[in-house]
Amino acid sequence: MAQHKTLCTARPALVKQIVCAEEGNVTVIQGRVMPSPRENRVVQTGGSTCACPLCQLHLDIKHTDVLILSQFLRSDGCLLPRRVSGVCRLQQRRVQQLVAMAQKAGLMPNLAPSSSKRDPRRRFGYKKFNKYYDESTIRDVQPFSSAMSAR
Amino acid sequence: MSSMQRAKQWATFARIWHIYDAKWQNPFDSSKTIAKYLKGQHKPIYHPLSDCGDHVVVINCRDIALPGPEWYQRVFFHHTGYPKGGATWTLAWELHEKNPTKIMERAVHRAVGGTLLRKGLMARLHLFPDEHVSEDLLRHVTSQIPQLRVQPRRLDSYSEEEVRDFPKVFDYPADHVIR
Repeated sequence: MAQHKTLCTARPALVKQIVCAEEGNVTVIQGRVMPSPRENRVVQTGGSTCACPLCQLHLDIKHTDVLILSQFLRSDGCLLPRRVSGVCRLQQRRVQQLVAMAQKAGLMPNLAPSSSKRDPRRRFGYKKFNKYYDESTIRDVQPFSSAMSAR
Repeated sequence: MSSMQRAKQWATFARIWHIYDAKWQNPFDSSKTIAKYLKGQHKPIYHPLSDCGDHVVVINCRDIALPGPEWYQRVFFHHTGYPKGGATWTLAWELHEKNPTKIMERAVHRAVGGTLLRKGLMARLHLFPDEHVSEDLLRHVTSQIPQLRVQPRRLDSYSEEEVRDFPKVFDYPADHVIR
């Protein structure tokens, strides 16, 4: 199968979704180009010296803030890399640990690989019971309410 | 005594039934509050020998939450009294599987103190693994003890519109493949 490469100078700011469909004997793999689902929902923080979106927002994110943490995940529960999310190294480590806490507490069962047990009650042993975590045990970056304001 | 004074007398000295929802609460932190109500230390007329304690009904004991690794680190000791192998150390999750109210019971048993009054205080504690409480006990309940920890919400409890309309921290870069 010959690989065709198209050259174009202008790159449209669109995202892609790969859809795989089987119609009888034929497998159709389609790359759908579409506008980003987050187009009009991004928080605007103007006049900030820091390029990292989390440092600009200055929030104390807890492991129970599932609506914020799920933005950093793929549909199978994997973290998005820094070059996609645009956060700084320290915030990426903090988000990594918060996401691990939320996943262990069973708060994001729908963002998980297809082979995992989505409902915490179906897990084995101690994993079926409720757990909560203390965010102050994350040593790399302190929450913004205390240490960062002192800098 | 006038009827107003009689009503005040009853309101001061009556034994009240409180209800506490243990869902997503730490049993050891909640037991301190529950012990306070069992002894009657929340009342201005408190004295340890006055028998001024209240009843506490604890529901959803099955849904208590322990911090991090405590489910497999915390151990409950039991000795049968017989020699040679009478001592057993049971992990918290194993005990919770066998009897979902036992951890809460042990926590309150410790919080209430080692006095001779403990048996009477524990008799006024009513533990239930879920929300099913018999009507005989529920008809006495007139007060609720507030929860200590905020209950977290799971991601699938939010509707799709709520997740989609929530403000986003960053937008995907150009030509990013959504998986």
